[in-house]
Amino acid sequence: MTDEAILRVKDLRTYFNTDEGVVKAVDGVSFELHKGETLGIVGESGSGKSVTNLSIMNMIPNPPGKIVGGEVLFGERDLLKMPLREIREIRGNKISMIFQDPMTSLNPFLRISTQMMETIILHQGLDKKAAKAKAIEMLALAGIPAPQKRIDCYPHQFSGGMRQRVMIAMSLSCNPEILIADEPTSALDVTIQAQILDLMKDLTARLGTAVILITHSLGVVAGTCDTLCVMYAGRVVERGDTEDIFASPKHPYTRGLIKSVPRLDIASEGRLSSIRGQPPNVIDLPECCPFYPRCDQAMDVCKKKYPERRDFGNDHSAACWLYSEAK
Amino acid sequence: MTRYIIRRFLSLIPTLFLIIVFAFAIERLAPGGPFSSEKKLPPEIMANMLAKYHLDEPWPQQFTRYLGDILRGDLGPSFRYKDFTVNQLIAQALPVSMLLGALALIVAVVLGLGTGIIAALRQNSWVDYATMSLAVIGISVPLFVIGPVIKMVLALQLKWLPTSGWIDGRNGWIVLIMPVITLSFPYFASIARLSRASVLEVLRSDYIRTARAKGLKESTVIFKHVLKGAMLPVISYLGPAFAGIITGTVVVETIFTIPGMGRFYVQAATNRDYTLIMGDVIVFSVILVLMNFVVDVIYGFLDPRISYK
Amino acid sequence: MKFPKVRSLRIGGKADAELNEFAQSMKPVSLWADAWRRLRKNKMALAGLFIVAFYVAAVLLAPILPIYHYEDQVISHANLPPSLRPAGEVMLETRVAYMRKMMKAESRTSFNAKEEADIEAMKADIKVNPDHKRVYVMGTDNLGRDLLSRTIYGGRISIMIGLVGTITATLVGILLGSIAGYTGGKIDNFIMRFVDILYGLPYMLVVIIMMAIFGKNVINLFVAIALVSWLTLARVVRGQVMSLKNAEFIEAARSMGASPARIVFRHLTPNTLGVIVVFATLLVPDFIMSESFLSFLGLGVSAPLASWGSLVSEGTATMELYPWQLLVPAISMTLFLFAMNFLGDGLRDALDPQSKNRA
Repeated sequence: MTDEAILRVKDLRTYFNTDEGVVKAVDGVSFELHKGETLGIVGESGSGKSVTNLSIMNMIPNPPGKIVGGEVLFGERDLLKMPLREIREIRGNKISMIFQDPMTSLNPFLRISTQMMETIILHQGLDKKAAKAKAIEMLALAGIPAPQKRIDCYPHQFSGGMRQRVMIAMSLSCNPEILIADEPTSALDVTIQAQILDLMKDLTARLGTAVILITHSLGVVAGTCDTLCVMYAGRVVERGDTEDIFASPKHPYTRGLIKSVPRLDIASEGRLSSIRGQPPNVIDLPECCPFYPRCDQAMDVCKKKYPERRDFGNDHSAACWLYSEAK
Repeated sequence: MTRYIIRRFLSLIPTLFLIIVFAFAIERLAPGGPFSSEKKLPPEIMANMLAKYHLDEPWPQQFTRYLGDILRGDLGPSFRYKDFTVNQLIAQALPVSMLLGALALIVAVVLGLGTGIIAALRQNSWVDYATMSLAVIGISVPLFVIGPVIKMVLALQLKWLPTSGWIDGRNGWIVLIMPVITLSFPYFASIARLSRASVLEVLRSDYIRTARAKGLKESTVIFKHVLKGAMLPVISYLGPAFAGIITGTVVVETIFTIPGMGRFYVQAATNRDYTLIMGDVIVFSVILVLMNFVVDVIYGFLDPRISYK
Repeated sequence: MKFPKVRSLRIGGKADAELNEFAQSMKPVSLWADAWRRLRKNKMALAGLFIVAFYVAAVLLAPILPIYHYEDQVISHANLPPSLRPAGEVMLETRVAYMRKMMKAESRTSFNAKEEADIEAMKADIKVNPDHKRVYVMGTDNLGRDLLSRTIYGGRISIMIGLVGTITATLVGILLGSIAGYTGGKIDNFIMRFVDILYGLPYMLVVIIMMAIFGKNVINLFVAIALVSWLTLARVVRGQVMSLKNAEFIEAARSMGASPARIVFRHLTPNTLGVIVVFATLLVPDFIMSESFLSFLGLGVSAPLASWGSLVSEGTATMELYPWQLLVPAISMTLFLFAMNFLGDGLRDALDPQSKNRA
């Protein structure tokens, strides 16, 4: 892992116009991704994790959504200001995405070969034969048995886990610099989950791809991610190396999340712990720390202003009034 | 896939059988048969006529005879037009109706699909509102209102087109314009609405999101990824659409005085010419059933989830 | 990696309200309230609703409305165009205009003695006869009957057939559909085969036959149409029931000991009701169209009763000379069908949870 940041997200804001008001799904998110790094984005439903990633590739449906501010620097260029034509050259090519549900993410009416080859032909300019060969190669890498035969099959002829492997193969076929994986294992059986995660780790290590892994499961994060962003109510509340965060979580929310993972090696002491309350409705949130209703350590200032970000060294930072001198 | 086709084909048989049974029952049971409008006939002549039409045999035998006739393609004599058999009458009228119906269907599908797709791609634009308003008119206004109104405007007021008649020595293809427009209008409207809804739904699906995430050009996304899935509901609709067109010919032929099966049908119903009615029904039903079968097969080809079990 | 020791979180209890201050709104919003809210925003659907309500009110109140009876004939008022002026004047005008045309055709420039006498007689009659004070807002038909009144009463028949027919078809469809969907197996198979076969028939033709055989009266009419209209609804209901049957909340109800009847009524039906309402609303115009179709062909209601279909049929015959006789019933019927279609579409959009947040 070098120090070279290939993706820099600065103060990204994406809002949605709905009947009930303006939903500030992403409200000032910043992070950096380095070459070959695996970054995890963790949070509950509605925390804004998926929207962040769709925003990076400018795939927010408009209406009702709109990216209203911030920068997404890929190399030197701001993706948010690129014309669609140029973004398309990056999608699938330099930055790839895979989604949660492999059942619905593949076109049921087209063969796998067609779906894989079209990306390769489009971005790498190979001819049909070469593209097909490359696609078969990728399927083999992804652990699909007898790829030369199976490539001509339709999606419904694969099982869920196999389909996700196909998605992974498809997304890595143009050797992208970044792979964005939006909850890739949430729809799969637990045993398959482990397999797919291993596959992703293996392939991305081999190809040198950086990964942004979105998940709500800390278990997944612990095994695969180098760095971590914890999101709450559209903002990053804590950031840093995975080890640092697990060893010494600073933000009360992060602490709550870690504590709520039941552990087999510690004798259970009564009830399972959880964070009380519900995730917030992000419409018309007042100026405050959005976590304060559920926080045991909330103070007066928490109700009045969003906390400043405090740095703990080694790129570990958290936004919480507990650590700020100014109160 | 072959199994699917065979299964579909086999399911035709009970339908056709039911129709034939129904036809038979109607012809024998209905009041006002072939002789009721005649003067009272002396018993020997009655007996002769009964024997001639085999009406004196026990029912199961009559039915077998009837079935045999049908299968051989003989639909019996017309009760009304004593000199003609039903076959002859239908042979004259069928090509006319078929031409009208086929043209109407083609127009409806081509225009309907095109309009629906464009409306979906330009959702909420004036094109969308205009075409969908036109479509609502198409499904709300009955054929027998559209027909006369079109006739009134185009033929009587503007005098652009001849008022009635069919292709013969005097009139060329121009006569087809009004009846085809009229007949196709409601189905064009339904297909337009259906394809628009279908395209919109496909556009919302996950696999289109994947396609965009791969950086494909928007035109590729639409034509390669969206269309195939979006077309399926429209294909399914073709069966009922065709059924509707068949019924529609009844009205359109009456309004524009076209010598087709539809017009015969109404006259036969009013005259209680049961053999003619039943002959019509059987022919229509056979065509419809075959058409449904063809549609099912096409659908099976287009949807790989069926053809590759 | 070291995890901090598990702590009980029951200390410093926060009140629930405070806890959930920012929580997503938990107000119970019933499906109907939500749908109504969305429907209200749909201008076209609302317009449709008002028009339908207006029509229904008009036909219900027909007997007490200040209109002429639909059978009331005044022969001398035959074929008068719509007008707000008294019939006498209009009649005079029309007759005179006609006479002038005749005059021109015979290349004369003035009326002869007979024609003058006729005109005088008419004028005298107008002064005396109270009938001539009538106002025919929509004109008259060929027997001097008020078209407005005939259209309203015609609407009565058409709408009634539409509503009653729809209700019948809906009930039959729900019954058979839910039986098929819930019991599955052989019964389901049998019912669905039956539906498939009926679907394959050109049903309108069958209806025509039935009308031809059993005579043309209103009861036959609507029995015949109702018999074949329940098919789509049955299919839809069956589909819904089948997909809900195995839904988790049904499992939950079953595991709590609910009987099948209770499951069907308290759990399945409310969920399918949305779809049923939409289809039923769209079935009404279908019914009216079918009835009109038959009446147009002369196989529906017969004189002196009128339905929209028969009125249009009469109007078609005379549309060259007296276009209002076609246009008045045609437009009235079309407007109603439009309104019902918009309403049905609006209901469908309002009840479809997927179309939330359409900006």
